[in-house]
Amino acid sequence: MRVLLKQELKRLWCSPWQLALVTYIPLISILCLWWLFSAGLPRQLPVAVVDQDNSQLTRTLTRNLAANAVIKPITYTQFADAKAAMTQAEVYAVVVFPHEFKRKLLTGSSPTVDIRYNSQFLLVGKLLSSQLQLSVGAGLMEVAGMKQLLNGANRATVAVNLSPVTSQTTALFNRNNNYVGFLVPPVLIALLQLLAMMVFVNSLNDSLIRQGEQYLLPAKFWWHVGAKVLFYTPVMLVHGGFILAWLYGVLRLPIAGNLLLLIAAQAMMFLALWTLVILVFLLMREPARSVSFCTALFAPAFAFMGITFPVNDMPELAQWWRLIMPSSHYIDSHVSIISYGAGALQVLQQSISYGYFIIVLALAWGLHRVIWNKQIALTTRSQGEAVGVKS
Amino acid sequence: MSWLQLLFVELKAILADKAIVVTMFGGVLFYSVLYPLPYLNQVPTQQQVVVVDHDNSSLSRQLLRHADASPKITIVALVGSIDIAQQWISESKAHGLLVIPEGFRRNLLLGKGATLSYGGDASYFLIYSAVAEGLISAGMDAGRQIQLVGLLARGENPQQAEQSLHSVNINSVPAFNPSLGYTPYVVPGLFLLILHQTLLIGTGILGAGQWRKKGYWNHVSPMALIGARLTVFSAIYALFASFYLGYCFYWYDVSVQATLTEVALLMMPFILSTAACGIALSSLFVRRELPTQVLLLVSMPILFVSGFVWPIALIPDLLVQLSQVIPAVPAIMAMLELSQMGAGWTSVLPLWIHMWTLFVLFLLLAFIGVKQRLKTENG
Repeated sequence: MRVLLKQELKRLWCSPWQLALVTYIPLISILCLWWLFSAGLPRQLPVAVVDQDNSQLTRTLTRNLAANAVIKPITYTQFADAKAAMTQAEVYAVVVFPHEFKRKLLTGSSPTVDIRYNSQFLLVGKLLSSQLQLSVGAGLMEVAGMKQLLNGANRATVAVNLSPVTSQTTALFNRNNNYVGFLVPPVLIALLQLLAMMVFVNSLNDSLIRQGEQYLLPAKFWWHVGAKVLFYTPVMLVHGGFILAWLYGVLRLPIAGNLLLLIAAQAMMFLALWTLVILVFLLMREPARSVSFCTALFAPAFAFMGITFPVNDMPELAQWWRLIMPSSHYIDSHVSIISYGAGALQVLQQSISYGYFIIVLALAWGLHRVIWNKQIALTTRSQGEAVGVKS
Repeated sequence: MSWLQLLFVELKAILADKAIVVTMFGGVLFYSVLYPLPYLNQVPTQQQVVVVDHDNSSLSRQLLRHADASPKITIVALVGSIDIAQQWISESKAHGLLVIPEGFRRNLLLGKGATLSYGGDASYFLIYSAVAEGLISAGMDAGRQIQLVGLLARGENPQQAEQSLHSVNINSVPAFNPSLGYTPYVVPGLFLLILHQTLLIGTGILGAGQWRKKGYWNHVSPMALIGARLTVFSAIYALFASFYLGYCFYWYDVSVQATLTEVALLMMPFILSTAACGIALSSLFVRRELPTQVLLLVSMPILFVSGFVWPIALIPDLLVQLSQVIPAVPAIMAMLELSQMGAGWTSVLPLWIHMWTLFVLFLLLAFIGVKQRLKTENG
């Protein structure tokens, strides 16, 4: 075994790409992806305000919008200009205060404030929709309060009259709705899975023996695989550890559970991933094809994690496909450790879901036996032919 | 070798390479089903909420019925304390929490006001927003009713009471993606990215497989080779693009506001510049398994930097500027503006010219790269 491990190290040393994949490429891509989202909280999103009333009231409401950290109001005089800006994604929403807004409000007929938000950019659109309603609503509440005070109600009753039920909304586990805490960990885990897949597939491809146009499996295949698993699992765990250290150590994102448990969960993910990669490798037995197939398989893993779109709203087929992706098993443990502070026992229970991968391993084992027997038969025959030609 | 013959051997070389076929034909078909698969139900509905009802009055029960009637949430349990509710959430049996305080109804009737507490699991944003929206609208509804009862009790006439409750209407409507669905949000940008990446990988593998061997590519000039390759790949991708933008958009209910001519005009520089970029990149590789890996690594960053997932205004400027050399970035934005948000052709014109510029640039790079490769291999 030691010989095989040394051989792995030597092979790694001789292949610049593989060496890059286990050293600086993960670091660069992890930091780049984090950098992309590093703003964390959406702020100062441009919103077009078309003020056709231009009264003291609508100006107050516009100032109210400006006071909201998410909104950056930009004044447009013509609705057509605002619309054009919206279709070119220069602004993400349009707010229209109609002509005679104040007069209608004071004379008791209810005017309408029109808000159009860009829902093609779903994330921004949803956020702006709620924030705009909140800001405009709060501004109007003041006006309504003024009206009641003028009618002779006292201050205490005005507050209750306006909103008898106040609500206090708490974002559990990610208190300020930080996108770094929500989106970056699953994105990085998806990336880590891709990197690990590539590293392992490359190293398996390395062990193929090329004979003319076709590739042959090496003898003692499972010993080779064992050495690779022993060698690359810790290497990839270092990168997994780097992600965790960066997010929860350097950036100090809140974490409720134990980081060591997360490392253990990552190790499980890698082991599951290796079984799938071995199966694909045995099916393909050609470097470029194995890589292409694995890529096709693992590239969409992020969509199936269930972080951006909830799992229980996915169709049945998607939920099944989700079980094939090791990363989605891991992300469940990740969330329960980071957010809910799950203990070792709970993580262990969750890791029972990896059971499917034993079937994958068994399939790979069977496939290898079939291929190997065929290969032996082929080589003995060709050797026999060679001997025959000689004699 | 005549031009037609050259086109024919190019096509044969592409179809004979199983890795390219797996990536291009297999990938394009497979992804058209697999990527939108998780989002087919469009909007998150019926998120599980657990309730702690300290009041247990007629009003609090009415509030719960209203909340349960909201399509966004479903109440899964009524528990005795916040601790138990927390346990439900940490076991992922519920994603939200509603606490009704003691004396809720009494305080409201006395005109003292009451506070409802909502909590949603913000580890999952869509779930959180569904829970919050559902609960807040139920709470506001209950508040309105109490207000109306109060006003009527003080002797206002019903019509006036109704009006003072709704003094201003806020008419907030989503533009462009009226159902707030997830597939119309993800599919247009993502599908262009899939076309982009598979095309780059396809040209990459083809080039990387050829440089070290001898073959028809040594017998023609670099310009002829590039021209033929561009033509063949563009023809194949014109087909794929028609399948994606035509049939798949229709199938996934993505709105299409542009005319066929406009889309075709837009796709032309996109496909050409991507193919040229692929040929230029291919001259960097000699191992066939490398292009797939390199391009796989950059696909997630390209998706996020293209500006429809995460607003461009929040992405660091340097990254945005660097991303301008990737054909998919202007293409995705132009496509969204033109076909999803109904902008006119004049407003996407700068992006269109941007793509043509990229085409010229990559064509030049491809020429230099291929010439270099052919020279070293020939000599």
